[in-house]
Amino acid sequence: MNKVNTSCIIDDDPIFVYGTKRIMKEIDFCNTILEYSNGQDAIEGLTELLKDGKELPKVIFLDLNMPIMNGWEFLEDFVNIPHPFKDQVIIYILSSSVDPRDLTRIRHYESVSNYILKPISSKDLKNVLDKIS
Amino acid sequence: MQTVAVPFLITEVPAAVAVLDKNLCFINHSKIWLSEFNILDKNIIGKSYYNVFPETPTELIKIHQECLTGKKSSSTGQKFILTNGEIQWLKWRIHPWKNDVNQISGIIITMEDITSQKYEEELLLKAESIARIGGWSVDLVTKKIYWSKITKEIYDVTPEYDPNLKEVINFTKASSHGKKILHLINTAINEGTAWDTELQIITAKGTELWVRVMGEGEIINNKCVRLYGTIQDIDTKKRTALQYQEINKRLQIATSGANVGIWDYNLVENSLIWDDNMYSLYGIRKEDFKGEYEAWQAGLHPDDKKRGDEEITSAINGEKEFDTEFRVIWPNGEIRHIRAIAVTQRDHTGKAIKMIGTNWDITELKNTKLQLLKTEESLQGTFESSSIGMVFVGMDGKWTKANNSFCNSLGYSKEEIINLSFQDITHPDDLNEDLALLNELIAGKRNSYQLEKRYRHKNGYDVHVMLTKTVVKNINGEISHFIAQIVDLSLRIKAEKKLTKLLNISGEQNESLMNFAHIVSHNLRSHSSNLSMLAGFLEQEKQEDERQRLIGMLKEASSSLNETVLHLNEVVQVKASAHENMKGVNLYNAITTVQKNISLLLQKKEATCIINVPKNQKISAIPAYVDSILLNLFTNSLKYSAPDRPPIIEITSNIAKDKISVTFKDNGLGIDLKRHGEKIFGMFKTFHKHKEAKGIGLFITKNQIEAMNGSIKVESLVNKGTTFVLNFDKH
Repeated sequence: MNKVNTSCIIDDDPIFVYGTKRIMKEIDFCNTILEYSNGQDAIEGLTELLKDGKELPKVIFLDLNMPIMNGWEFLEDFVNIPHPFKDQVIIYILSSSVDPRDLTRIRHYESVSNYILKPISSKDLKNVLDKIS
Repeated sequence: MQTVAVPFLITEVPAAVAVLDKNLCFINHSKIWLSEFNILDKNIIGKSYYNVFPETPTELIKIHQECLTGKKSSSTGQKFILTNGEIQWLKWRIHPWKNDVNQISGIIITMEDITSQKYEEELLLKAESIARIGGWSVDLVTKKIYWSKITKEIYDVTPEYDPNLKEVINFTKASSHGKKILHLINTAINEGTAWDTELQIITAKGTELWVRVMGEGEIINNKCVRLYGTIQDIDTKKRTALQYQEINKRLQIATSGANVGIWDYNLVENSLIWDDNMYSLYGIRKEDFKGEYEAWQAGLHPDDKKRGDEEITSAINGEKEFDTEFRVIWPNGEIRHIRAIAVTQRDHTGKAIKMIGTNWDITELKNTKLQLLKTEESLQGTFESSSIGMVFVGMDGKWTKANNSFCNSLGYSKEEIINLSFQDITHPDDLNEDLALLNELIAGKRNSYQLEKRYRHKNGYDVHVMLTKTVVKNINGEISHFIAQIVDLSLRIKAEKKLTKLLNISGEQNESLMNFAHIVSHNLRSHSSNLSMLAGFLEQEKQEDERQRLIGMLKEASSSLNETVLHLNEVVQVKASAHENMKGVNLYNAITTVQKNISLLLQKKEATCIINVPKNQKISAIPAYVDSILLNLFTNSLKYSAPDRPPIIEITSNIAKDKISVTFKDNGLGIDLKRHGEKIFGMFKTFHKHKEAKGIGLFITKNQIEAMNGSIKVESLVNKGTTFVLNFDKH
């Protein structure tokens, strides 16, 4: 299992973010974790990274229901970020929604790799690492 | 010779005889001479012939002189014009007489005045020629035939023609006529009977000719020796008669075919003559009819007798020609309707002497008319009382007659309708289609059409109808007008609209129910997953301070769960509320009450409120919802106010039909509707990085308004402000 350099969590639920980070540490998922509480903050933050010449996170865990800019809107905006290696970013949707309409909708986004139903477990994260390597 | 006997003998001769001497003086004469020539002088012996007959024509004098020279003269009749101008026909024999020494001593004259006889002959000839009657005879012994001049003319043969028996038979036309004449001739020969017949001959020139042939046989010793008679050209008369007969027959056929009876009423003799048709019209037998005016009257219906009399009388008096209808009762009781027309004939003094008229049976016509009237009446009834609007449309589109339903549907009176055409009040968008279809009717491409269209009601609104327009043709097959029938669809369309609205509402409700279910599961799940995750961490965590942190988060998560359940409960409450709680709510009071309740908050934010709502404005609503909605909108405006300017909240109400629209306007942060427009009223949607944003307020507001049969819309510009437009029912 190869450790990821940078991963990113976009979620407005601080408890969930805490839990995820904790599991990541346990399994030694990555070196750096970026946190954003909504899509808008995430777009802005990631754009800032690129400006500073830093690399984009390898994996993004994205919540769907968020204020200001939700997960869907983030996906629309993210594909418009001008960056050549943007396609190498692996995006996982993390949600507690079991609405089949959401699951159908996810398939329309090429940039989305998979869907993980909350709560996230260490097993989920290990699978992600397996897939990446 | 000079004896007494000789003069005596001469005197007694039964003829007009005279003996004259050389000087033409009378020596002797018969008694008859005097009477024959009307000589009044009883003693003419010794007197000169020319003294006795001073008018003797010179031709005769010449003859006398010639006879004195020894010649003899005789004539069967010669016409003389006397010196006094009279015409005299004479027949004579004149001989000279000689004495003993054979010398001419005078003349003996036998003379007869045949003037009157000749006249008759002449007249007869004239008559024959004028009446075109020719004579003929057949000598049965010698087989010789004699034809007079006229007979020959009739047969178109020359005067020299010598007829023979064989040819004569050939002149008769066709075998039937030939047989007939042969039969008559034979009967005449055998029995001596005379005949008088009309038959057709073919003349020598081939002309067909009607002739009347009369003849009889001359019987001698019981044997017919001669046939003789006349032949008369009656062609013109006969043909006229035949033609007349034919016309008469035709008339008879026509009148009997048409069942027209003809009657002839002689006023002078009170005799009434009927033709055969009349009897069948009155249902009686010829034998039973007495032929009097009273007999006619007896057949009339009792109710029509008096009028019949009066009309006959007024025709006789010359006031009005007889032209009427009446009923007759047949002996079997059947009542028939008769039409009668007559003309009155008058004598030179103007007195009516005769009426000639016709009768014909119009019972069927009358019955048909009655039936038609009934049909018309029932049609009229149907037309008037039908629930379908009906109207007669002229070729120019003008309405000529409309029923009540039609008038009611469009709001015009019958008088107003007939001054309008369908073009006048058809909805402009529907007119072309209607006209195009109408043109197809006129062009004969179809007999009717159906069209859903709109008329303008007199009060200005649209009336939806299903129109059926049908062609009505006259007896010549030309279009005389159209009939339009309209079924008023307003109610149906209203119902349809209501149904569509209901469908939309229930669709929306289904949708929101579905959303609600997913939202509930999502939100509860997100909390429960947090709880289970935190619980898992807590189990493994050894460090105390970290455990305390986890417990804090656990509390936070459970109170969030509690809050979510409360929100959801609130939503369920709105959904469950029914319409029966609706009542009149004073909008102005409701606004000011909420304003008072949050006055501290308003003061803190330095907010200004402008209320443009009439103090008596009432809306149909659930009071608690109105409070909740207003509170939510007020707090939203304050929560999302722009930090650089004090909030201004403006509430305005407008009345539109049966709705009251309330505009709630602020000058706050605004919402990017392009991004969030579709989810602004969604559950748990938040658009501001604000710790108080829960994404439940507007969702509940929308649900509350809709539960009260209202609606809510939003307009917003980022950093300019947000305007909510709420619609309520008027109370």
